Amino acid sequence: MTDTLKELCSLYGVSGREDSVREYIVSQLSPDCEYSVDNPGNLLVFKKGRKRPKNTVMLAAHMDEVGFIVTYVTDDGLLKFDNVGGIDVSVMTGRSVRVGERLIPGVIGVKPVHLLKEEEKKEFPERDSLYIDIGAKSRAEAEEFVLPGDCAYFDSDFVTFGDGLIKARALDDRAGCALMLRMLADELEYDTWFAFTTQEETGTGGAQAAAYTIDPAYAIVLETTTAADIAGVEGEKRVCELGGGPVISFMDKRTVYSRELYGAAFEHAKANGIKAQAKTQVAGGNDAGVIFKSRGGVSVLAVSLPCRYLHSPSCVIKESDMQETYRLVKLLAEDFSVR
Amino acid sequence: MRSTEEFKKLIFSLCDSNGVSGDEEEAAAVVSRELSRFMPVKTDTLGNVTGERGGCKTHILLDAHLDRIGMIVTSVGDDGFIMAAPCGGVDRRVLPAAGVIILGKEKVFGVVTSTPPHLSKGGKEVPDFDAFSVDTGLCGDKAKELISPGDRILLKTNQRRLIGSRISSAALDNRAGVAAVLRCLEMLEDKKSDCKLTVLFSVQEETTGGGAKTGSFSSDAAESITVDVSFAASPGIPAEKSAPLGNGVMIGFAPSLCREMSKELVMLAEENSIPYSRDVMGGGTGTNAESVAFSKGGKRAALLSIPIRNMHTPVEVCDVEDIENTARLMCAYIMKKGGVVND
Repeated sequence: MTDTLKELCSLYGVSGREDSVREYIVSQLSPDCEYSVDNPGNLLVFKKGRKRPKNTVMLAAHMDEVGFIVTYVTDDGLLKFDNVGGIDVSVMTGRSVRVGERLIPGVIGVKPVHLLKEEEKKEFPERDSLYIDIGAKSRAEAEEFVLPGDCAYFDSDFVTFGDGLIKARALDDRAGCALMLRMLADELEYDTWFAFTTQEETGTGGAQAAAYTIDPAYAIVLETTTAADIAGVEGEKRVCELGGGPVISFMDKRTVYSRELYGAAFEHAKANGIKAQAKTQVAGGNDAGVIFKSRGGVSVLAVSLPCRYLHSPSCVIKESDMQETYRLVKLLAEDFSVR
Repeated sequence: MRSTEEFKKLIFSLCDSNGVSGDEEEAAAVVSRELSRFMPVKTDTLGNVTGERGGCKTHILLDAHLDRIGMIVTSVGDDGFIMAAPCGGVDRRVLPAAGVIILGKEKVFGVVTSTPPHLSKGGKEVPDFDAFSVDTGLCGDKAKELISPGDRILLKTNQRRLIGSRISSAALDNRAGVAAVLRCLEMLEDKKSDCKLTVLFSVQEETTGGGAKTGSFSSDAAESITVDVSFAASPGIPAEKSAPLGNGVMIGFAPSLCREMSKELVMLAEENSIPYSRDVMGGGTGTNAESVAFSKGGKRAALLSIPIRNMHTPVEVCDVEDIENTARLMCAYIMKKGGVVND
């Protein structure tokens, strides 16, 4: 699964530009999978199981990632840009990036610390003051390489480190995609739908269309969620912990999750010796927020990998959490098929 | 002489070596190897790398600092998180979620912690240095086995070729200066200058300034040229404190610098069509130039600077042409002082 994840994280795809991720996933599908690509770009995969389910179950993970989009090229050849998805200015300043169709290198510049006034040292720069520098001397030179509307990404490699940890960009939500690909490579007990969705980071539009088309009774959203288990943060403020297994949400900013399914997740975990943990803050949101409201309503559950430094160049997850999550999700999908 | 492409590779390899202030051993080994192509090399008490070449005319000291900024481990937590202090002027604004290399018993990868959104209160405030820690992903015991207080930490960088002759890397401050000195020595190889030359790749510029002070004391040079980096024009930087990238070498004018030398450098730049700008400072230069100028009974001192963007971040940017032009001007000066005419 780690190798697949590494491949997925080597691909670039902000919201609305998920093509290369989708192409890779299609290339990994076994011949017995049926798939289609809808107008928003969702990849909808159906795989037959040994048995027909009582209920239609849909697993969902989003293909897009947060990044940047070039809005303007200055006379000096610098690129002004906007965010695609939520990225805090604190993880942008002084970072290297890849820009445009050709993924040319650039950097997000900062005024040198030596020249800052005392006041300026205390605050991150204004988002609008930032620019990407690709080394161009003029607008004309820059536009040979990049045009407004081109996208940019953090330039951050895939690193395994520490005690089984992975650092990369775009783990949100290529980790969810990797989990679904792993399931698709298995024999399934019941027929199951897998939605690789688009545009989660910019408003969950893809999932809304996917849920309409697939029309599930139950959905499991596979995600990554903020883990604040770092030095100096205690108790519920940690939200969840790396190594604690899949994170089960009871509520976030977009969804109140099915209490029944939330309970079922912990029952299965306990009965099968799988680690699982509750998300201890009502924070964040994901595709579940539109899936549960689809058509006449869908029972949803979010199962997430704990992830430190989400939406930064250095997202960090733990390999063992992926294994535990995989085991749990497989059991849950089977349960929901006949519930 | 190296081709432009080979010279770029040399700059990248210089920037790639460790050598956080006070712990310059690895970088010293790299520059010693390079410098020994031109002259015998020694390392002194504090770790300065010096080389000397004989000559009958003006004795000139070329100085460029060897160290780079970084961090230093202050404690290793039971949870495997590392506390650190700055070693040189680290810009706290580039720390959240930055990748780092901890130079422990072995190189250990880590990530600087970043305040999660539910705890940051949406504020734009830059956390104090002690609010950061380094996430090693190791348990406390393993972390303590590999990492000790005093170990240095480098911010991980992506060395990249930008458009044209521009490049990005950490540690261009001041490996760009070191590269300029080495390039100058290459240029001198097929020329005849009878100047006595001392090269000083000095340690601890970013912290104590002690390297240049002691290293230049050991030299009887009459004149010195310090090569360092300065601010390249970019948004928010006053024009009078910067020079456009790619516009050549910056020739320093300051109270501590020898005015005749500065003027002579300007004249030589004009004569040899070397692009340059004047870099005027009312007080100190913020470089080694002062310690060199006042060492022993004093030396005539000049300062040449290479403009870089984003100084003291892992994404410093420079134009290799500016390094070349700095080397050309130094070479022209050394030829002027010691050139043998009509040999």
